[in-house]
Formats: sequence, structure tokens, C-alpha cells
Amino acid sequence: MLVLMTADSTYDSESTAPATRKELLGRIAHGDQAAFGELYDEIAPRVLGLVKRLLVDHAQSEEVTQEIFLEIWQSATRFEPTRGGASTWIMTMAHRRAVDRIRASQAGRDRDQKIGIRDLAVEYDHVSETVEVRIEHERVKKAMSRLTELQREAVSLAYYGGFSHSEVAERLDIPLGTVKTRLRDGMIRLRDELGVAS
Amino acid sequence: MTEQKQNPADLSGAYALNALGADDKAVYEAYLAGSDEARTEAAELGETALALGLAADPVQPSEGLKASLMARLASTPQLPPLPVPEAAPAEQSAPEAAPAAGVTESGVGVPAAAPAERSTRRSAAADRAQRRWFQRPAGMLVAAAAAVALFAGGTFVGQALNSNQFEQQQAAQLAEINAAPDAQRAATTTTDGQPATLVWSGELGLSALMVQDLPALSADQDYQLWYMNDAGAVPAGTFDSTGSGTVWRVLEGTMHAGDQVGVTVEPQGGSPQPTSAPIVAIQS
Repeated sequence: MLVLMTADSTYDSESTAPATRKELLGRIAHGDQAAFGELYDEIAPRVLGLVKRLLVDHAQSEEVTQEIFLEIWQSATRFEPTRGGASTWIMTMAHRRAVDRIRASQAGRDRDQKIGIRDLAVEYDHVSETVEVRIEHERVKKAMSRLTELQREAVSLAYYGGFSHSEVAERLDIPLGTVKTRLRDGMIRLRDELGVAS
Repeated sequence: MTEQKQNPADLSGAYALNALGADDKAVYEAYLAGSDEARTEAAELGETALALGLAADPVQPSEGLKASLMARLASTPQLPPLPVPEAAPAEQSAPEAAPAAGVTESGVGVPAAAPAERSTRRSAAADRAQRRWFQRPAGMLVAAAAAVALFAGGTFVGQALNSNQFEQQQAAQLAEINAAPDAQRAATTTTDGQPATLVWSGELGLSALMVQDLPALSADQDYQLWYMNDAGAVPAGTFDSTGSGTVWRVLEGTMHAGDQVGVTVEPQGGSPQPTSAPIVAIQS
């Protein structure tokens, strides 16, 4: 069961819930296993959710999730609260690990076949598990809808598809420079729509 | 390959989306180091990517995953905190270090070299190790229980060159070994009695050695790892020790079934073949 949180807490790294995640990371950095358990309970479904979005295969996604949490344990000492939120740190690591797995293994090929059937553009499940998730979906969906079709396609391929910018260029048969511009412009637009400020 | 003419600022979107290859990533990070404005943009786009990440449907992990993770914590060493941030983006962080040298990089626990003491200890130790290395993997106990408690809070001491990235990579590999379905471990002691544990995964062809309280060496020496089998000894990386805590290192190269892992003391930078008897040898 997922815990219901307020919509704000997951976006604003300075608000209550992520501050707790920061504290948890601080305790984990000192070898606190209970804190690790708490952090796991809180964020593992989000980590696995993202990893599975990229890898599709459930068993592989669990394996990668395990690697991610071991890395969190090992490198919590390296987390610098002044340089960003705990959730960003964790989800960035999760994305990186999932992409590493795609590039390192057979997963890439299997996944391509499965993804081929799906629509790669951001898809949203309307029977969301929690209010929190639904609100997030709506917010991101709305923000994504403000991008141009081309920006949206490039951002989705890169983030949810796990493709590198040169792979995106290849898939879309456009110059690399164009992909860079689309990704940057798209992300800046998203940032503004989501009201992210550092 | 990255062309000089491109503007690194254009990479911010791809960077936030983790869509850059290693070369471009390095280019962008070097650019970040010199620009406040770029760092702000990178941070904001990073937060934006987080929103994308959290918009993926949550998936509840299976019951066993947490238990399995918790069970691995005690045997998974944590990295030491990053050294104090450098004042300026330095091209070379360790000017004196030779590329392959294993040099203590962390500021804490400067190795106190005690060459005289070491040399007297070595001959007897060498004999014992020699026997162990060439005859049988003595004193080995497979099973984690004993080893587990020893390695909590271990210290990583690796190569000096590009040390942060190297450590991250080492940590990632160690996590991978620990998470591998076929991960195994074996424990023994060095010739001087320090507990040593080898963890490995045959599927990944990777192994990592952890040793507790391994004595510090003089500056002109390194510990060197070897994969040993019937064909001989294959160098597998060098490392250094501060003398206390746990040192660990993921071995370079590929582990093959039945390989022995050994450690010798070699001149700084390592040797192509062992020049001394091993201080520890473990059968995988």
C-alpha cells in the first residue's frame, strides 16, 4: 500500500517529506540501517516504477532496484544536501542505473520489441493508485502538453525510452544538434510550466 | 567524439535527462564547474526531470526485495565522504601519482610507513603465504556470518587518478556483485592474521576483496591483486591501505571459475608478475 502524501511534498525538495528524506540519507550515511529501511519503504515503489517504465521487464527491474538501493547505502556519504534534493539524487541514480542496464544487456533488444507496441509518448494510467500520483500525472501531463509535438517526442524518447541523444537523433533521423536544442528547449519549457525554481 | 565548435550550454537538456554519453557528459560537467548560471540551469532541469520520474506509475516491489537488501547492508561497505571540494576545477588532482599507482587519496589517515618493522615481519609471513598460495586455500570458510560484521563502515582506498569517478565505479561494481543472484563469499586471514573476504559473482566475472586493518605500506610500495590459475598470475589492480579499518577493491579484469585471488606487496605501481609471496590467497 502506498502512503498518501500531499502533492507538494514530492515536488518541492525543501518541504516536509523530502526534508525527511534528507535526514534519512544523513542517518544512512552513518550506517543507520533502520533509516535505510524507512527510506526504502517510502521511495522504493517510485524507484521501481521509474525503472520498470524504462526496462518493462519486472524481474529485471527488481534486480536493478536492488542495485540502486545498495548504491544508495554505499554512497549516502556522498550526498550533498546543498547541491539538490534527496529525491532528485535518488531518482537520478535510478534513471542512470536503468539506462546502464539497457545499454549493458539483452534488455535493450527485448524492450525495443515490447516498446514498439506501446506508444512511447507519455502515457498515463487514469486509474492511479493514489491521489498524489494522479495529481502528479495531471501536472506533468499538462506541462507536457505545452511542449511542441517534436519537443515532447524527443524528451519522452530520452527520458522514458532511455535513449541517448545520439540514439534519439538516429531514431528520428534528425541532426544531433537539433536533438540537443529540442531537449533543452523542451526541458526549459517544462521547468517553467511546472514552476520549478532552484 | 566531441567537436570543439559545439556550445556546451546546449547540452543542459540532454544532461538533465541522462541522455549524454561519457564524453559529452564530461564536457558539460567541465563547463558547469566554471559557470554559476549553468549550474542553476542544470539544477532546475534536474528538478524538472524528477517530476518526470515521479510521474511514472509506482510499482510495489515484491516482498522479498527489502529483506534481501537489508541482509546485505552489513556486508556492503559505505564510501568515505568526498574530500573537501577543490577550490578550482583542477586538471590534475594528484600531480605526483603515476597512472597505475595505488595511492591513498583521502585526506584522512595518512599512511604511517614503517618499513623496518615490515621487512622483519615479511620473511616468515612470506613463507606461510607461499605455502598457502601454491598448495591449498587454507583457512577458508565460505558463509557470510563471520565476515559480515567486519565490513560495516569500511574505507575505500583506491587509485589516485580521477579518484571520485573511480570510486563511484568501484562502488557500483561492488553493489552489482553483491546483488548478483550467484554472489558468493569466502573468508580467510592474511599471513599477519587480518581478516580478508572475497565476494564474487561467476556470472558477472567480477570479484572484490576486503581486508581489515591491513598495514600501511611505505610510499614506494603498493598492494597488488592477482587472479591466479593454472596458466599463471594475471595482474588485477593495485591499492593502498591506511592501516586501519577495511580496505576493499573490485579486481580489474575477468574472474574465471576456480581462480584464486591473491595479494602481494609490489613496488609502487605494481609489477607484471608477482615479485613477492602473497600475503593472502583466497580460492573463489
